[in-house]
Amino acid sequence: MQELKKINGELNAFSNISTSVDKFPFSVKDNICVKNVETTASSKILKGYIPPFNATVVERMLEKKFGFLGKTNMDEFGFGSFGTNNENVARNPFNNEYVAGGSSSGAAIATSILKYHVAIAESTGGSIATPAAFCGVTGFVPTYGTVSRYGLIDYANSLDKIGIMARSIDDVKITYDTIKGPDRYDATCTDNKIGNHDNKKIFIIDQMLDGVEENVRSHFDNFISKMENEGYAIEEKSVDVLDKAIASYYIVAMAEASTNLAKYTGFKYGFKNEQYGHGYNRFFTEARNEFGKEAKRRIVLGTLVRSASVKDKYYIKALKIRRIMLNELNKLLSGGFIASPVMPMLTPRIDDSEKLNPVEVYKMDKLTIPPNLCGLPHVSFPIAYRDSMPIGVQVMTSQFNDYAIMDFAKIWEEKFEYKYRYNIGEL
Amino acid sequence: MEEKDFDRLLEICRLKLDEKEKESVKKDIEDVIKYFEILGTVDTDGIEPAYHPIETMARIREDLEIKCENQKELLDNTKTFRFYVVGPKV
Repeated sequence: MQELKKINGELNAFSNISTSVDKFPFSVKDNICVKNVETTASSKILKGYIPPFNATVVERMLEKKFGFLGKTNMDEFGFGSFGTNNENVARNPFNNEYVAGGSSSGAAIATSILKYHVAIAESTGGSIATPAAFCGVTGFVPTYGTVSRYGLIDYANSLDKIGIMARSIDDVKITYDTIKGPDRYDATCTDNKIGNHDNKKIFIIDQMLDGVEENVRSHFDNFISKMENEGYAIEEKSVDVLDKAIASYYIVAMAEASTNLAKYTGFKYGFKNEQYGHGYNRFFTEARNEFGKEAKRRIVLGTLVRSASVKDKYYIKALKIRRIMLNELNKLLSGGFIASPVMPMLTPRIDDSEKLNPVEVYKMDKLTIPPNLCGLPHVSFPIAYRDSMPIGVQVMTSQFNDYAIMDFAKIWEEKFEYKYRYNIGEL
Repeated sequence: MEEKDFDRLLEICRLKLDEKEKESVKKDIEDVIKYFEILGTVDTDGIEPAYHPIETMARIREDLEIKCENQKELLDNTKTFRFYVVGPKV
């Protein structure tokens, strides 16, 4: 514990750590409720919020052989790709001058530094794949609706998926089998059977390689060659609508986020305004000053795209494009997996990431958005190390075929040695 | 975006920004909206919006009375007076 606390002081993986754990430890992203443990989604507006209940995923983990280790750091409400939109900037365990990725930054760092541990994380548009890739661990996002969202602090209801990070795909599978399944408290949670169908084919999509830096592309090509040697047929395809994925995703995500954030009024959860004599509008406006800049930006944009005068132009249009994308990707994925790099560039330095404007940051999510917008299961895992920093790949499959990408990741895992800078808890 | 339209938008959002932050957020919003225009090039006539990524059946829970065991804990997150949650004037 002492070593963990020391390294946590440097990297900001955990917002709090249990005093002791006598079972296999699991961490929980700070936007998922754990009974009697402060849960803030890294937002000042939720400071002091103590949930009186466990999220369904937490309840299921505790019922099995897992012990709660702590809450992990994240971008405020999940709004970020680098783990820097919060009070305590998350730092990469391979080099603390670099970003850890977001928004499940703490989950990825914790997985990278702890020898025995699984992380319960959450993805809306890339919040598991990206930090998993930057921190060199395995990240898994299941088919939308196969894991209950009860107890998750909503970012965007039609996009949020609770997923897992671990050091091995076997640990991911054990955890997924523990937390998945229908839940009476989540009406969108399905009881569909999870399949395992592998056509021994990998599609590479032109639009997903446009703009990928050469030093990332070369490692990806090398990975594809190795999987070809494992018996996978490789086929290049073009899916034009993917060029519209970023805009469609951000419109849907911000529209949903702006409605979800309306519940933080300064007297029900977390932060208390205390100026009860002020009129409701003034009271509410004062309380919402606690949101960070990115949250405010998303509230404004989400409110704008839902306005009656432009709703069809932006919000409904984005949902129609999601339908086109769903149809095209589902058709393609019935014949094989789609593989791509996770991010179009190498892990950025923290100071460089802070210089990017919002559109530049949103564009970084180009490769992780398609599976997230369409609720497709996907996995990311390390495929190479460059200047001692990991580089990841993302593999997606059709809805409810989650076990197939786990087996795919297992093939790679048996051939490639994953590296870690820390092994806290090693016996 | 006109200044008065942006002010109205902030009012609807119940957000009050200082001048510096307002200027910066306004510019960001304009840049992002400009980027969103890319969607105009896609023909979506006759396409149904996908509100959800998966087809979900409307499942309704049985209408049962359930005893709430943790009323006190639920109220612990609020300021209370007697049995009431204290809130702002309407």
